Amino acid sequence: MTSTARDPRAPFVLTPPVMSLERRTRGYDIPLALIALVLSLIGALLVWAATRDQQLAQGANPQAFLYRHLFNVVIATGLMLAAARLDARLLRLFGPVVYLASLGGLVAVFAVGTTINGAQAWIRVGGGFELQPSEFMKLGLIVGMAVLFTRRADERRSRSDRADERDGDEPPSTTDVLLAIGLIAVPLALIMLQPDLGSAMVLACATFGVLIAAGVRARWTVGLIALGVLAAIISVKAGVLQGYQLERVTSFTHPNHDVQGAAYNVTQAHIAIADGGLFGTGLFRGPQTNGGFVPEQQTDFIFSVAGEEFGLLGGGLVVALFGALCWRGLRIARDADDAGRLVAVGIVCWFAFQAFQNIGMNLGLTPVTGVPLPFVSYGGSSMFAQGLAIGLLQAVHRRSLD
Amino acid sequence: MASAPFRRRPPTARRLGIVVALVVSMMLTLFARLYYVQLLDPHKPVQSAHLLHDGVIVVPAPRGLIVDARGRALVANTSVQEITVNRDLLQARPDKGRSVLAKLAPLLDTTAAALAKEITPCSPTVPAPCWTGEPYAPVPVATDAPTRVVLAVSEHREDFPGVTVQTVTLPRYPYGSLAAHVLGYVSDITAADQKANKTLNDADTIGVSGLEEQYDAVLRGVDGQQLVALNPQGYTVGTGHQVPAKQGDTLVTSIDLDVQKLAESSLRQQIADSRRAGKPATGGAVIVMDPNTGRIIAAASYPTYDPSLFVGGISQADYAALTNPAAGTPLLDRAIAGEYAPGSTFKLITTSSLVMHHEINLHDTYGCPGSLTIDGRVKTNYDSEVLGDITLRDALGYSCDTFFYRPTAEEYYADQRRIAKGQPAREYLQRMAADYGVGRAPQVDLPVGEQSAGSFADRETRLARWKANRAEYCAQGRRGYPTISNPTDRAYLTALANENCTDGWRYRAGDNADMSIGQGETTMSPLQLALAYSALLNGGRIWEPTLGWGVVDAAGHVVRTIAPHVHNRVPVSQSLFNYITKSLDFSRGWAVSGAFAYIGSKYQNRIGGKTGTAEVFGKGDTSWLATWGPTTKRHGVTKAKFVIVGMVEQAGTGATAAGPMLKRIWDGILGANGAPVIPGSKAETRLPKIAPQVTVARR
Repeated sequence: MTSTARDPRAPFVLTPPVMSLERRTRGYDIPLALIALVLSLIGALLVWAATRDQQLAQGANPQAFLYRHLFNVVIATGLMLAAARLDARLLRLFGPVVYLASLGGLVAVFAVGTTINGAQAWIRVGGGFELQPSEFMKLGLIVGMAVLFTRRADERRSRSDRADERDGDEPPSTTDVLLAIGLIAVPLALIMLQPDLGSAMVLACATFGVLIAAGVRARWTVGLIALGVLAAIISVKAGVLQGYQLERVTSFTHPNHDVQGAAYNVTQAHIAIADGGLFGTGLFRGPQTNGGFVPEQQTDFIFSVAGEEFGLLGGGLVVALFGALCWRGLRIARDADDAGRLVAVGIVCWFAFQAFQNIGMNLGLTPVTGVPLPFVSYGGSSMFAQGLAIGLLQAVHRRSLD
Repeated sequence: MASAPFRRRPPTARRLGIVVALVVSMMLTLFARLYYVQLLDPHKPVQSAHLLHDGVIVVPAPRGLIVDARGRALVANTSVQEITVNRDLLQARPDKGRSVLAKLAPLLDTTAAALAKEITPCSPTVPAPCWTGEPYAPVPVATDAPTRVVLAVSEHREDFPGVTVQTVTLPRYPYGSLAAHVLGYVSDITAADQKANKTLNDADTIGVSGLEEQYDAVLRGVDGQQLVALNPQGYTVGTGHQVPAKQGDTLVTSIDLDVQKLAESSLRQQIADSRRAGKPATGGAVIVMDPNTGRIIAAASYPTYDPSLFVGGISQADYAALTNPAAGTPLLDRAIAGEYAPGSTFKLITTSSLVMHHEINLHDTYGCPGSLTIDGRVKTNYDSEVLGDITLRDALGYSCDTFFYRPTAEEYYADQRRIAKGQPAREYLQRMAADYGVGRAPQVDLPVGEQSAGSFADRETRLARWKANRAEYCAQGRRGYPTISNPTDRAYLTALANENCTDGWRYRAGDNADMSIGQGETTMSPLQLALAYSALLNGGRIWEPTLGWGVVDAAGHVVRTIAPHVHNRVPVSQSLFNYITKSLDFSRGWAVSGAFAYIGSKYQNRIGGKTGTAEVFGKGDTSWLATWGPTTKRHGVTKAKFVIVGMVEQAGTGATAAGPMLKRIWDGILGANGAPVIPGSKAETRLPKIAPQVTVARR
């Protein structure tokens, strides 16, 4: 099963849970790490540009956000390296631990959480840092589901393989899918209660990716899509969505309806991006950015800075980098074992959908739901979670080389 | 990467393909949209707001001063410390200013939560209490803050970022209630004011009564501006050009502080004296004016009030007290806005009419019986005094009523005969009253609603009123006033109502006789009476009198001088004026009813006057005295420096209440007990020098 044959005279030597030192130095998907790093550094520039003038106006350090973003990148890199060393056994431990910890965090936000922009989604951890458990939940859920599906598949196989070593291509059973739905239902409900529609959508999308990768039957995937659409219609009609959420969604369909109200962010971001043209205004030269017209520009609307100051080239580069990131991720998925593939596809779906959702809302394509642009947006929790995710992709990749 | 031959082939490549397709389509969609927005879109949106815009913080101008004829401030400004909170600065702090508010709140005896509400700009989602001004403007949280608070804030500025102590001006009344009625008061701007005058700002105050209202435009000054640069979120990012506030101009009035003080104290004392004598003496008024210039030198009204009650807004309870009739309606200016039957003081007008129309002459004697029956009613002299046949001189001096009844009744019958012949009635007496200004607001430089026009009856108005009120008269006659307990009053009122019902349109001989002695429906304000007597002393000019004298700007330059106008001349010969002034000269001693209080005084020969004792149904007599002096007589023409009219409600005869009241004022003006209160015993003739105003530092 492995390319390098193990010494048959030492069959009982336990594989150490952490990869051996010599293996630590090889097997990394360097392009993947580089793409993530470049996105993070572009993010640092954009965050700097978005906050510089506002900070100056308030008499604060204009580089404060830049430094903190870079600091977050450093921590995230450390987390990536740590996660990259996980092997299959630790991964099985990692999934439930992250899942349960994030679930605990999601419950905790209701007790001790901080409300920012209408969503009670943050936990203050001192030192000016705030943790957003829903970011880690994305990771926890993906890994948790991967573990669930592979464990169930292994059990099935160990029951059946004595008789007949069949190809492991058997689709997950109904029980597996129901278990997976149960796994996502609890955090989804908690996140919707915050309320954080954006994170919930990302979560649902990543889950959907995992389900596809796990090979659930088409009737399940189609049924779940139908269920999602139905739930969306019901929540709009029955008023489950908060007023402001509905307003954002409806203002997305009627952008000129209320320029000063709900559609203000989108309108201002649109102006900024349209202002950029082909080459952009140049770093720090965007009037729309410097004027502070776009609210939340260093987080949810960071892409508008790229669009304004670096134009189509800069914005296109960011989109292309996400495409490349997904390509590397899918390559890893293709070569990975069952569990690794599920994790990799889940992470790719997460990044892809979140990037699409975020850039889309900057461009007026998707409703404003408050999700950060992976790696680029300012924000510790999302950066750390993404660092861990890249690390997991590396771990999957390295294990597939064994 | 080549797959090892023995590796199990990924079983779900097809499924990975779905994910690849999804990812690729999402990225392509984004790129296409980006391309469209940045390059293709023919209608690119552009920023409509200015990148940085200016906000204006209004620096309210201190109001101008109101000073007396010698430049002494009647209304001044006082600087008080105001504490403001700049919400922008608080919001920029890590804790959104919570700690600052928490420290400030106990100093101001409030809570941090209440303060936070107070400084939050109002909006549809922010209910009151909230800040109604510009969102970026500092919010005043305490005006006239106690010193301990000011010290606490200014000595620990580092603890109170965004909290500022600044000096603002409020009106101050150095002499309390002195001349309160004519000075008036200011109030906060209302929405209606702003609608009427777009330049008014929330921070301004506006004069809403008296001289403060009449001269509001000159007193208000020009608000200053502090420009602030705002970012698109409306936060202050810098301060810009400052335009200092320009204080309002100073209004110089013709009021003499000392005479005003004297008039008010004498009025107050007379009220007390009359009350001690058992009279109700519910109120009174004094007017001192210069008959030669038409300027008002003092105007006193009792009861009065403290105008500082209005500073910063008057409470409902205080306002109710100032307008309570049971308390004598202190807000009412009896001197200018009061309307009273003038009684015998009106005989100046009656005499003018009768003599000028040759109904009586200055030489013959006419009867002054104790009583006279006119139109079936018995009319008597005061105390039914019988003087026999007397001249007009004595009729004026002794104030005989019956003397005037006969010729005015005859005038009435002559008019009735004209009407019977189809000719218009002449109504000489009414026309003379109108010439003397009765029935017309005197056009003094006060708000229109704060000066009364007075009234008198004539045929036309009587008929019009009857037509309008006939149904009510008849109904009252039928009901018979069941609520009135006194049977005599009830019978009288019922009879009156019944008479009004059937004959109320009829102007009778008795009405004309009543008018001749300033009774019946004849009313005048003390100011109107002073104007009529001024005409007597100035050759017949009826002034449109003034309180304002000049406007002086902050640099001390006279901007304009306010001069009274002559509205008209009464059609009376100088020889008749001479006759009347001689008849009423106090040198005639006991022959002049008004002189009683003055007999033996050093200046008895230099003043003259006419008493009035007006009967008011159901109340005590109104005591009147119209005087003039110090007189100069040349070629029989009497001139006077002042005309002083005094009136005390429900206080008895003119000689017993108004007489001694005005004597104290004359004593002061003419220096009977030392130096005169007004130099040279004459009104100032030149505008005082007003020192340039020290610019009040603000912010």
